[in-house]
Amino acid sequence: MNVGPVVRATITFLIFIVLHYTLRPLLGWRAPMDFLVLALLLAAVRVRPGTAAVIGFLLGLISDSLAPEALGAGALAMTTIGFGASYLKAVFFADNLVLNAFFFFLGKWVFDIMYFIGEQRVHGWELVQQLILWSPVSAAVTAAAGVILLFIMRPLLEPSSA
Amino acid sequence: MARVVRGNPRLDLIILAICVALAAAARTLPTTMRDPLATGMRRTFLAPLVMLQGRAEMSRQSLLLAESKTLLKDSVSLAAMKAGSLEGENERLRKLMGLASGLRWGFIPAEALHGRGIRDETTVILTAGSQAGVSRLSPVIAPEGLVGVVDQVDPTMSHAMLWTHPDFRVSAMSPDGSAFGIAQAHLRGTTNGYLIELRGVPFRAALKPGALIVSSGWGGVWPRGIPVGTVLQEIKTSESWARTYLLRPAVSPADIYSVMILRRDRVARGMDGVWESVAEAEAAAQRIVVAGDSAAKSAALAEAAARRAVIDSTARASGQPARTGVDSARVVTPAPRPTTPAPVPVDSARARVLTGPEPIDTTPTEPPPPPPPTDSLVAPPGLTR
Repeated sequence: MNVGPVVRATITFLIFIVLHYTLRPLLGWRAPMDFLVLALLLAAVRVRPGTAAVIGFLLGLISDSLAPEALGAGALAMTTIGFGASYLKAVFFADNLVLNAFFFFLGKWVFDIMYFIGEQRVHGWELVQQLILWSPVSAAVTAAAGVILLFIMRPLLEPSSA
Repeated sequence: MARVVRGNPRLDLIILAICVALAAAARTLPTTMRDPLATGMRRTFLAPLVMLQGRAEMSRQSLLLAESKTLLKDSVSLAAMKAGSLEGENERLRKLMGLASGLRWGFIPAEALHGRGIRDETTVILTAGSQAGVSRLSPVIAPEGLVGVVDQVDPTMSHAMLWTHPDFRVSAMSPDGSAFGIAQAHLRGTTNGYLIELRGVPFRAALKPGALIVSSGWGGVWPRGIPVGTVLQEIKTSESWARTYLLRPAVSPADIYSVMILRRDRVARGMDGVWESVAEAEAAAQRIVVAGDSAAKSAALAEAAARRAVIDSTARASGQPARTGVDSARVVTPAPRPTTPAPVPVDSARARVLTGPEPIDTTPTEPPPPPPPTDSLVAPPGLTR
C-alpha cells in the first residue's frame, strides 16, 4: 500500500475541514459553500463505501454538534452522501473538472435536501424556497469552490507516479 | 484483509445500516440527552474547530463594523475638538460672570470684533453703541483687567483703542500706592509679544518683579484699581530723573473676545473690591461646576442602582437567582464632594489698596512725593502725546 497518496489526501481533507470553520463564517454568505461536503466527496471516491459511510457519519456528527436541535440530521445525510459517492465513483471518478464540479453540485444539493427534510425545522413554502432556490445556489457555490480548490491542490491530489 | 473487505459489499451495507441507525437514533434523542452529547463533543475534540469558527466570526464582525467604528471615532474626535473650545469659552464666560457680579451695575457687555488690517492689533470694534449707553472715553475692561477705551461711538457699535495703541496712556500705581507712573505700550520691538511700559516712576519707589500694577484713578477716565499688568523688570531709558519698568499686561490683545464697557456714572463710583469679588465669583462658579458634576454622578449611580434592582427583581420573579456580585438593595452613596479651597488673595497688598490706601510714609527727611500723573486722554496733550 502506498502511504504517500493517503497522507496527501488526509492533509487535503483536514484543510477542507479547517476552511469550513474559518473561511465560511468569515464570508458569511446567505448561500454558503460547504467544505465538509467537499471533503467528504473527495474522501469518498478514494475509499470503500462502508468507510465513506463512516467518514460521512463522523463529519455529520461534527456539523450537528454545533446545531444540537438537528443532531443526527447532518449525520444521516452525510452517511448517505458518502456511501453513495463511493458506490457511484465508477461513474463520476474522472480527472475532469466539469464532471467533478457536477459531482460536487449534486452531492451538496442532495445533502441539503436530506438535511432540511431530516432537520424538520423549516416547513412549507420556506422549505420549498430553500430546496429549490438557496440550496442549488449554495451547491453551485460549493461546486465552484471545490473546483478552484481542486485546481489549487492538484499536486496534493494527483496519484503518485510510482 | 483489505482485499477481503474490498470484495465484500455486504459488509459495506452492514456498516451503512449501522451508521444510518446511529444517525437516526441521534435524531430521535430527547433534548435532555441531545444537548449534553453535543456539548461534550464541542468541549472535547471539536474545541479547536469551535475556537476557529468563533475567531472567524469575530473577524467578520470586525470587518463589518470597521466603517461604523471609523465614523464613531471621527465623531468622538470632532466632539473632543469642540469640547476644548467650549471649555475655553465656558472659562471666559465664567470669568465675565464673575466680573459682572463684581460690578453689579453700570456696565455694558459687548463682543470685541478683531479686524484684519494693519492697525488691527491696536483697535477693535465693539458690538454695543450709543443706543446701549456707550459714550466716548468709556473704559473697556475684561475679567483679567484693563483692555482699552472707546474712541468712536456709533448707534449700534463702537470703536475702541486697545492699550497696545501708541497713543494710549493710563495713570497707574502699585497697589500700596508707593509708586505712580504712566502706563503705555512698549513700542521698542526688541521683545516678543506685547508689553507695557510704566514710565515716570520716582526713583525712591523701587518695584520688585511680579508686583501688580493697577490703574490709579487719576484723570477721571479710568477708575482706580483695574489691573494693568505685573512688573517684569526695570529698563534703562533717557529719562534719568525717573524709573521705567516693563510690565507683563493683564490682558493679551489676542485674548480679547468678550468685554465690559463701563458707563460714566459707574466710573465715578469707583471699582473698590471689584477684582476681589471677581476672584471670589470665579471660585464660586468653580464650586458650582464641581457640585454639578457631583450631582450628575450621584444621579447616574442612583439610576444604575435602580436598573440593577429592576433586573434582579425580574430575575427573581422568573425564578432565576439574582446576581450575587451586585447588591441591588444597597444604598448608593454619592461620591464625596470635592472641596474647593477658599480663595486666597493672591496679592495681599492689592487687597489692602482696594479696600483703602495705607498711610504713606511721612518721614521728614524724605521729600514729599510728586503729584501723581494723570490719564493722557484728559491730561494736556503736550504731556503724553
